[in-house]
Amino acid sequence: MRLFGEIAAWATFAVVVGVLSVWPRYEMMDSGAAILTLTFSHAAQRVGECRTLTQEDLNELPPNMRRPSDCPRERNPVHIELRSSGSVIYQDLLTPSGVWSDGKVNIYKRIVIPAGPHELFIGMNDSGGDSGFDFETRARVDLQPGRNLVIRFDELSSGFVIR
Amino acid sequence: MIGRVHSIGRSFYELLRRPLARAFESKQNPLNQLGALTIFFCWIVLVSGIWLLIFFRTSVSAAFESVEYLTHEQWYLGGVMRSLHRYASDALIITILLHVIKEFIFNRYRLNRWFNWVTGIPLVWMIFALGITGYWLVWDQLAQYVAISTAELLDALPIFTDSMAGNFMSDELLSNRFFTLMAFIHLIGLPIFLVFGIWLHVFRLNGPRINPPRRLMAGALLCMLLLSVIYPAISHDKANLAMAPQALRFDWFYLHVYPLIQRWSPGWVWILLVGISVVLTIAPWAPPAKKTTVAVVDLDNCNGCKRCADDCPFGAIEMIPRTDGTNYTHQASVTDDLCISCGICVGACPTATPFRSKSALVPGIDLPNRSAASIRQDIVDQAETPSDDPRVMIFGCRDDRQTEIVRKAGGNVVTVRCMAHLQPSYLDFVLSRGHADGVMLLGCENGNCDYRLGADWTEARIARVRDPWLRKRTDTTKIAMGWLAPWANIANPVKRVGAFRDALRVTEGDT
Ligand code: HEM
Ligand code: SF4
Ligand code: SF4
Repeated sequence: MRLFGEIAAWATFAVVVGVLSVWPRYEMMDSGAAILTLTFSHAAQRVGECRTLTQEDLNELPPNMRRPSDCPRERNPVHIELRSSGSVIYQDLLTPSGVWSDGKVNIYKRIVIPAGPHELFIGMNDSGGDSGFDFETRARVDLQPGRNLVIRFDELSSGFVIR
Repeated sequence: MIGRVHSIGRSFYELLRRPLARAFESKQNPLNQLGALTIFFCWIVLVSGIWLLIFFRTSVSAAFESVEYLTHEQWYLGGVMRSLHRYASDALIITILLHVIKEFIFNRYRLNRWFNWVTGIPLVWMIFALGITGYWLVWDQLAQYVAISTAELLDALPIFTDSMAGNFMSDELLSNRFFTLMAFIHLIGLPIFLVFGIWLHVFRLNGPRINPPRRLMAGALLCMLLLSVIYPAISHDKANLAMAPQALRFDWFYLHVYPLIQRWSPGWVWILLVGISVVLTIAPWAPPAKKTTVAVVDLDNCNGCKRCADDCPFGAIEMIPRTDGTNYTHQASVTDDLCISCGICVGACPTATPFRSKSALVPGIDLPNRSAASIRQDIVDQAETPSDDPRVMIFGCRDDRQTEIVRKAGGNVVTVRCMAHLQPSYLDFVLSRGHADGVMLLGCENGNCDYRLGADWTEARIARVRDPWLRKRTDTTKIAMGWLAPWANIANPVKRVGAFRDALRVTEGDT
């Protein structure tokens, strides 16, 4: 009798362990959806122009601090916009990191969009003001369901890479 | 308020305890061995993990295939080991959860136990970190999901400047370095911390239960083995960073908070996790428990025999060099912060015998608010209270509901703090002086004693295997041990007393 009870208890335990280790399934997203992952870090342009120091300026500085030009450290915020077939699906204004706002901005964003063909546009402004985008890229993609399309910014070629 | 929460918790606990109490005797009951069972599952995880390690390849490209090899080519051993590794890890989440709940609802986390409680919390963090890094190493789609979500979680902390999640964007960009780091954390770093953490968790206790009884170990191992053979653990498809996994077979034991990372945000998940940990950490003092008067040593009666120190469940007694100039080398000394007035030391002290003349019943160690002398007085008083024949003297633990029921039913009850508070010579005293015809001990069952070792020491002293033992002349058939689950609303204890009385009647009839 005891043995039977023990077996029943351990069997129940095994079922609980076995079941909850795989079930219920976790549905991450709709089966007809795909993901755009926007991820990169970028140092925006500095807020102002560098100023060439005059001889008087230099004389005022201690010898170890003398340098030909004085640049503001602060960088512009980065405006980023992502459009699909004309409509904006993501946009944000990101402030640079660091106490002096002189660091890079880090972007990591997952955007769920329907699978299928998309006319993607990505633009980034890092020079401040309303002067339009400093960088922009367009791409035609046909996303299969579950596809994770990554959009990065390549500093070497100064352009977006979509793949 | 908190007492109410405890008592509601205990009612739910009863639902689980009752069926299990039918299947297992109390010492074998998994609910009375939760800490030890957790450690036993850790052993299974460790041993199976070593087997996996032999075949595992710690590189992004080879990890998945090496696990596949174990699972399918070497299914008869490697596959079973893999499944054991997974299922034992899952099982121990259940035992930890129950362990925490049980300590909580039985109010065993305050006073001196705050230390066990607080040191338990980092153990949970370590166990989860182990589980998460473990799933990561398989490098299948679930691993991919876990890796990216964990990276998102870590990115929410202001520690790293570059985005960690950004590392997981394409198979080419993913570096082996990162993967090797995970392997190091899972295989070496965390296990070392965990072993140290478990040691810290129990080292202050006297004789912590590290291993469950053999039969329970066998049951647990067989259970895990059969599950592994019948339903082996398998991987998802290999990770492919160009695709996002859609529906995953999900290990809810380890990954239950993960869906919240996307549903809420990583920041809120941190707030939740840290919040729970903080609430748990301050729980022992919210509100602080009332401290009762601690055990007090009387040097004139202490001969430095060390029995009290050996028996104190919480290591609250230290033997220090003698301070009163007598010829004994040592004396007992109580660390007040560790003592919770269980009286077990009094039950261990050879000087706590009721046969001493009344004025002088001052043992080497005693509880000021429930002295050895007051227990003897209660026995004498109860002996004079009329009762059914044969007369049964019942000893019950303080606070226990069972004791109350028996008392209300007119039993001759003497309460002690813990069954092991009663030095065995008291039993001899009751029987040899004719204060009763039989003695019934209504103590808390083994593994469920508020003072941990009450049932162990009482049984051992009466079985004459642990000092101070019951005198040879005492007839043990006249002593009944009615171990009960504390607070439980079970088989009427009055009936047990009645049954014992019947048994006494039979033996008396024989003589
Ligand atoms: C890996 C996880 C854990 C393991 C292996 C473990 C193991 C143990 C063991 C072996 C004991 C000694 C039991 C005895 O002999 O009386 C114990 C006691 C205790 N544990 Fe844990 N434990 C774990 C986690 C926790 C957690 C998370 C908490 C609470 C937050 C906790 C709270 C306690 C308390 C309060 C005691 C003292 C029990 C008593 O004195 O009755 N433990 N644990
Ligand atoms: S009363 Fe209990 S906790 Fe205190 S010293 Fe004695 S045995 Fe230890
Ligand atoms: S058991 Fe009694 S006599 Fe022995 S050391 Fe402890 S207090 Fe002293």
